[in-house]
Amino acid sequence: MLKCKINGVEVEVKEGTTIIEAFKIAGQKIAHYCWHPGLSVAGVCRLCMVEIKGQPRLQIACNTPVQDGMEITNQSEQVKETVRWGLDFHLINHPLDCPICDQAGECGLQDQYMEFGLYTPEMAEPKVKKHKVVDLGSKIVLDTERCILCSRCVRFTAEVTKTYELGIFNRGDRSEIGTFENKPLENNYALNTVDICPVGALTSKDFRFRQRVWYLQERESICTGCSTGCNIKIYFNEEGLFRIRPVYNEKVNGYWMCDEGRNIYKFVNKENRLLKAKKGRKGEWLEMEGGAAAKDVAHHFKSLDKERIALVVTGQFSNEEYEALFQFYKKNVGNDFVYHWINNKESFEDFDGLLLRGDRNPNTKGLLQKLEDYRYEQTWAHLEENLKAGKIETLIVAGPENPLWFPDLKEKVQQWGIQLSHLIWLSSAKVQAVDEVECLTWQIPLKTFFEKDGTYVNYQGLEQKSHRIATIVPGALSLSEAAHLMAGEEYKVDMAPILKGPKKNYYVHRRGYL
Amino acid sequence: MFELSKEGVEFVKKEMQRYETKRSAIIPALYKVQEENGGWVSPECVTYLSQLMDLPEVWINEVLNFYTMFNKEPVGKYHVQVCCNVSCAMNGGRELADHLCKELNIKDGRHSEDGRYTLSRVECLGSCGTAPMMQVNDKYYENLTKESAVQILKELP
Ligand code: SF4
Ligand code: SF4
Ligand code: FES
Ligand code: FES
Repeated sequence: MLKCKINGVEVEVKEGTTIIEAFKIAGQKIAHYCWHPGLSVAGVCRLCMVEIKGQPRLQIACNTPVQDGMEITNQSEQVKETVRWGLDFHLINHPLDCPICDQAGECGLQDQYMEFGLYTPEMAEPKVKKHKVVDLGSKIVLDTERCILCSRCVRFTAEVTKTYELGIFNRGDRSEIGTFENKPLENNYALNTVDICPVGALTSKDFRFRQRVWYLQERESICTGCSTGCNIKIYFNEEGLFRIRPVYNEKVNGYWMCDEGRNIYKFVNKENRLLKAKKGRKGEWLEMEGGAAAKDVAHHFKSLDKERIALVVTGQFSNEEYEALFQFYKKNVGNDFVYHWINNKESFEDFDGLLLRGDRNPNTKGLLQKLEDYRYEQTWAHLEENLKAGKIETLIVAGPENPLWFPDLKEKVQQWGIQLSHLIWLSSAKVQAVDEVECLTWQIPLKTFFEKDGTYVNYQGLEQKSHRIATIVPGALSLSEAAHLMAGEEYKVDMAPILKGPKKNYYVHRRGYL
Repeated sequence: MFELSKEGVEFVKKEMQRYETKRSAIIPALYKVQEENGGWVSPECVTYLSQLMDLPEVWINEVLNFYTMFNKEPVGKYHVQVCCNVSCAMNGGRELADHLCKELNIKDGRHSEDGRYTLSRVECLGSCGTAPMMQVNDKYYENLTKESAVQILKELP
């Protein structure tokens, strides 16, 4: 271990630690653009200047290893003056279009300027004009004038995804970020470049111009997009959810997340939700509250033949919910016709080598464990046989939160609609096919991960807790609440504060346009 | 589709062995490609080279775009590079470039109308002691005057 002093604070660090890392360990602030803990060191922005006692010249903290006994500061006038000028050089050709820039409010240039601004810019030369609104495909827009050439995005595509799309072309003050022949940047991790871009050069098409960031709140959660369970931050306000970004977790996702996972917020927002409970069949639906529908199921349950009921579960729910559901099933039905719906069989075992897994469920591990605990061992083939043979009349389905990854959804629902006499459909998602079934059906709206507490077990067997943040669909139940109510128990449904939902502004709610 | 000649491929392969990383061989490889592709490097050439050297296209494109000695667009039979950096500029390099444009019928500042000449204004070519100077394809012409430069170019085959 090496001892050093950072702005007067004594810290011990491992051999090989760089000064910037020591600053982080000591909890001291340091300006930087190009350094990122998940990437190699470039040392190009020259903003992380520090003064080391006994060395006449300032050094960059990101590329200088700590030596034993070093006394380092970035509080001296010399350092501040140097950073001030460094920042001014970064701004020589910067277009200063903050008012129309989507990064405003979370921009490295703005933040540092508040602290190290020269406030009397001395550059009189005309600015070099570069390319604006460069279309990099379906996800990202590039503004090369705003780029400060930190090369983070280039290193990301070279070191993390190893797809090598981005490069720096030309030279000197004409240098520009770009892709060869303007090829689109479409890899499934591309939006991480938007996160790590310290300025507004790379912006996300999905998010840009939808909200000013200072109108958003952020809360941590767990991605339910696949069995990896990346740690995430959700950005939302009264109008709904707007974007998702990764949160560092060494054990799970490191600094990154995949682009598909960023889309899960769309299945939480009202547009894609089952908003009301419904009872009936094709063409004759009676709308009601979720709780009332669950109680109605409880009422109806008495008259059903228990030997002709079966339960279908997906890996989309939390441990607590499986427990409540299986308790309900054990007490109120008693048979062992419980089946695991594997949504995408062919690709279930896939892995893209980085984060994304073919198992597009947050809690398959937890479900398998619970099935084992309850000794539910039936196979899917058994269900199909029984359905065909007409041995099952009623199916309770704990269905998908995210219908996108259930390619067989429509086909299955249609088939059940013909084979069954009752369907009890529990899901947070709006599914067209369920509205068209011919058998007597209860559709009960469920809460999404955003609206409930729960534990998820990822593919490694790691338990992660997800906390409720707010309510999008009032009247939706968690699977546990639905189970208790269907059992006929008195049960108080608990709700987080309700978000009002989107304002009616057509332009604000169209996505994916430049 | 562009392809290097057999000798060209051999040359590139040898250059790749020569350095610690094959990335370092991009410059000589680009020279060879430019030579065999009629004086410029097209996007197809970059793709070809990326496959030949097994390097990302973007790395080759970075080098190609960084250096002025690689042409990113077709050039005439004679690529005339007139130095306009300090020593040459003080000795009339910039005026020389203007004069050549007029004499060689170069209206857009780049290509002569008959396609025989392409003119570039370039930075120091390391021949300051004999300024002003120009480079025509691979050859240096030094201590120029307006008249001698025009004469040299017109007398080329
Ligand atoms: S686009 Fe952003 S991340 Fe990439 S080099 Fe420019 S400033 Fe850095
Ligand atoms: S890898 Fe899986 S858990 Fe991680 S962001 Fe993507 S979908 Fe979500
Ligand atoms: S962070 Fe050290 S030079 Fe950029
Ligand atoms: S300035 Fe022209 S050759 Fe050096």
